[in-house]
Amino acid sequence: MKKPMIFSQFFKNNGAVMGSALIGLVAFWLIFLIILPQLSMLDYSFRYNLPPAEVGGPKDVYTLSNYEHLIYGSDSSHQTYNTVDLKVFMRTILAAMLVTIFNIFLCYPLAYFLGQSKGSGFVRLLVVLLIIPYWINEILRAFALRIIFGDSGLLNEALMFLHLTSAPIDFIRQDIALYAGLGYAYILLMLFPMYNVIESLDRNQIEAARDMGASWLHIHRRIVIPYAKPGIVSGATMVFMLSAGALAAPQILGGPSSLWFTQLVYQWFNDSLNWQQGAAYAIVLLVSTIVIVLTVMRVFKVNMGDIGK
Amino acid sequence: MSSANLIRVALGAYLLIFFSYLLGPLVVMSLTAFNSASFPAVSPWACFSYEWFEVLFNDKHIRDGIYYSVVIGIGTVILSVSMGLAASIVLTQVWPKLRSTYYTMIIAPILIPGVVLGISTLVFWDRVGAFLGVSDGSLLHGLFHNGIFLTILGQSTFIASYTMLVFVARLQRFDTDLTEAALDLGATHTQAFRKVLLPFMRPAIASASVLAFLASFENYNTTTFTILEYKTLTTVLAQKVRLGINPSISSLAFIIIVLTIFAALAFEAANRNKDRKLAAAQGRGVTQKSGILPSFLTGNPAAVVLVLLAFMVIVMVGTAQRYSPEACKIAVREAKQIEIQKRIDALKETRRQKEDAKAAQQPSNAAPATPNNSSAFGNVFAPGNLSGDAPEQKVDEPEPQSGTGAFGNVFAPDNLSSD
Amino acid sequence: MSSGVAVDLENITIRFGDFTAVKDANVNINGGDFFSFLGPSGCGKTTILRAVSGFLDPSEGRVLIGGKDMAGIGPNKRPTALIFQNLALFPLMKVWENIAFSMEVAGASAGERRKRADELLDMIALGGQGDKLPSELSGGQKQRVAIARALCANPDVLLLDEPLSALDLKLRQHMRTELREIQKRVGITFIYITHDQGEALTMSDNVAVMKAGVIEQIDTGHHIYDDPSTPFVASFVGENNVFRGKVKSINGANAVISTNRSGDLLSRITPAQVGKMQVGDDAMMFIRPEALELAPTDAASETTITANVMNEEFEGNSFSVFLEGDGGKMIKMSVPNLGQDHISARGENLSLRYDASNAVAMPAGELASE
Repeated sequence: MKKPMIFSQFFKNNGAVMGSALIGLVAFWLIFLIILPQLSMLDYSFRYNLPPAEVGGPKDVYTLSNYEHLIYGSDSSHQTYNTVDLKVFMRTILAAMLVTIFNIFLCYPLAYFLGQSKGSGFVRLLVVLLIIPYWINEILRAFALRIIFGDSGLLNEALMFLHLTSAPIDFIRQDIALYAGLGYAYILLMLFPMYNVIESLDRNQIEAARDMGASWLHIHRRIVIPYAKPGIVSGATMVFMLSAGALAAPQILGGPSSLWFTQLVYQWFNDSLNWQQGAAYAIVLLVSTIVIVLTVMRVFKVNMGDIGK
Repeated sequence: MSSANLIRVALGAYLLIFFSYLLGPLVVMSLTAFNSASFPAVSPWACFSYEWFEVLFNDKHIRDGIYYSVVIGIGTVILSVSMGLAASIVLTQVWPKLRSTYYTMIIAPILIPGVVLGISTLVFWDRVGAFLGVSDGSLLHGLFHNGIFLTILGQSTFIASYTMLVFVARLQRFDTDLTEAALDLGATHTQAFRKVLLPFMRPAIASASVLAFLASFENYNTTTFTILEYKTLTTVLAQKVRLGINPSISSLAFIIIVLTIFAALAFEAANRNKDRKLAAAQGRGVTQKSGILPSFLTGNPAAVVLVLLAFMVIVMVGTAQRYSPEACKIAVREAKQIEIQKRIDALKETRRQKEDAKAAQQPSNAAPATPNNSSAFGNVFAPGNLSGDAPEQKVDEPEPQSGTGAFGNVFAPDNLSSD
Repeated sequence: MSSGVAVDLENITIRFGDFTAVKDANVNINGGDFFSFLGPSGCGKTTILRAVSGFLDPSEGRVLIGGKDMAGIGPNKRPTALIFQNLALFPLMKVWENIAFSMEVAGASAGERRKRADELLDMIALGGQGDKLPSELSGGQKQRVAIARALCANPDVLLLDEPLSALDLKLRQHMRTELREIQKRVGITFIYITHDQGEALTMSDNVAVMKAGVIEQIDTGHHIYDDPSTPFVASFVGENNVFRGKVKSINGANAVISTNRSGDLLSRITPAQVGKMQVGDDAMMFIRPEALELAPTDAASETTITANVMNEEFEGNSFSVFLEGDGGKMIKMSVPNLGQDHISARGENLSLRYDASNAVAMPAGELASE
């Protein structure tokens, strides 16, 4: 009963033409770009990969087999569980978490420094320097790290020159390049939300606390960090989701075998042409990352509205 | 006093490390663009050369990639800016109880992994195409199967959330009375939108458009699934990087970095100039002597750096026309030949010794032990490739369903020592 | 200029969800009147204005402008022009473009628009300032531009939503006079919203006092002040001493109120309540501070009150004396400044008298909260 009234008020406020244009654009986005594609993917993940002729036929029924595959592997495999894929999955989630935590610790001091020393030319220069890598292509940034971490890359050359190692270290196979690359790829998405929040913190609060004899550590623990919490959680959410969903960095910096769950999804789609299986893996990735993020947001009492600030 | 100094030193060291981590790789990559060596490296340095820029400019894949990236970027800007603007306006009017649900829905695409967005777009529109009975050769077929349309949709899904955030920030400062005043004075809703709200939103639309274009231009995760027939710049680059790298990519990166620095400096200089004008208008600005420098440059370091940088680029392009590294390259090649011969001999020697030793204990060795195995990346950097005529190797992508251990290879002891 | 057009509100009720913002309002505004809605913030006066201008539809009842039902007619089609509380000048348009905006959307040429804008600029004494931006004008100038912009649309009714509230005191008083003059000159109906009783009383032909969505009284400023029909109006408009009690006796238009703390007091019954009060009813009686005067201490009667002086304040044109009567009853008296040094001494016991025609009695009701 109330809904039509809302709509009529909406059209009264915006007029028929503008009202329809607004509703139309938003509806297109929400329905055709967000909701239906996700539902469609969900639906796909419960179907068999059938030749086109059999689609819609008697064999086209719903199944859990695509999800079972992730857990138990294919029938022909000799192992009870699909240890390879499960390992990749666990590694992706854990490594994304580690990358996130690493980024928090690396960015917090800089965010605090930039946020609290306002206006000076040096700080402005630093911000400009930060923006530059922000707009360099993800692929190119990963490529840059490969140049450094390669067998005869700069790092190995330097280590050998300094006689810290006799033979080149294979950073790529050791996954060091991958983790450095993931930490590198989204670090600014951690920094900027933190910086924005800390910038709005009234300096007087810190000075008042210092005046009352609070230690440096205490000031951060009781004043700055609680204040910056929405920024930290917002940044952490972005970094975690993007790291877990990263594709370019693992493809470029990962070793020859698949290390990252997105690579498995990619292979199901582009190499094995099994969209149904790929959709199931994508759903698993989406659901598990969202559950983790929502749990963290619940634990730290942060709202959805704080994300993206 | 000493503890304050300690903090200062620690801060300096920390800043140095942070910015080295952030910018170091970009600097190194830029330098490799000028090294004539056939794989990107700064050390050993062969010859200073512009040849990789030439390779880059002659690369048809990259040129096409840029073209399609721009086409898709423009499409994405139009779609995501209109959707983001509409969504932000609706957000200011939506029923309060629905507000947080609505906000969660339109912000969610930022948090959905790009891979998932790409897949869902592909899956859904493939079905729509099938439902519409799109057949080969029809107009719609191109729309659904060349990937440009799908990529625009896929990218706009999340880029619209970014633009929405830009618009929401601006709209918070909009006085809705202005729209009502326009209506009251006889304007239609469309006129009120066009003459009052749109001019107010213009700066936000400009920055959202830039943001959307850049986000679209550099997107990989979503695009790699939705781009079907053609390739964008990022997918071309990803393919190149995965299949084997050469410094022409560095030269592309260098160009992009220089352009970015230009844009960042221009933005900063414009900001400074505006601040300064504002200060001057409020009578706080010191009256400046009109010296040799135009007023735009005085007291505006960003502008000065910008001009210097422009000058450097001009000089560089100028020298590139004449400079020829041929003599240097010949010398390097000869030196290298000798070096390689030495290394090959040494390698043969060690291998012979190793094989003798192994043969004694373990007569038959597993396949992965051969040095020419799946380690595509390792080999790219192997010294043998220096000569530049090694066959291009495909990236080895193990079938995920083969449970027999993609990792097995990595951890096989021989792989680690194979080089 | 167009002659005034009448505005009628018939049984207007406006609800937002469960909240009733305006309840059964009936107002007839004569063409060419300066009509004010006066009330505290949140009383629904702005809501009424928005219903007249067409930004919202009443849940029940009709809005008639010039006898024509406005249902379904949008704000851009109504013969009204609204002046917003914050003026809502378009910040990105020049002053003259602001003024001629209504012509712009109607498709007039730039030349026509400029000509008309310049005429109006001359009228508001801002000739030659048309090419400035609104941000370059002073508060009073912006005010006049907003009026010119509204008048440019040739409205039959001009609606003003507390347009003076952002101005400082001096300018506000000056603009009152100016608004009234403009209204007389153009002759169209003005509907004015304010919480400032001074504005309402000085400018208006008629005032409607509102409380929580209900119109309490519609009358001339004079009558609103002297003959309030409800305790709310009596306490909201101007200052008043209120005495609670019961009706002891009624004699035509006069009544004796047996007050709770100040004894029996004689008062006139407010005209709207004559014949509606019964002996024994709960009643309220109001005496304005300026209606009280000093009396000899022994003159006890039904028009005197005794009290102790608590405090005295010098206000410039008058002295305010605060007294405490029996049972702690607080009373305020206002005495014009005719050159006295002071009126009273702290702790002094005084007798105050008043003329019964200056006191009004009415049935008890809710007061305006301070």
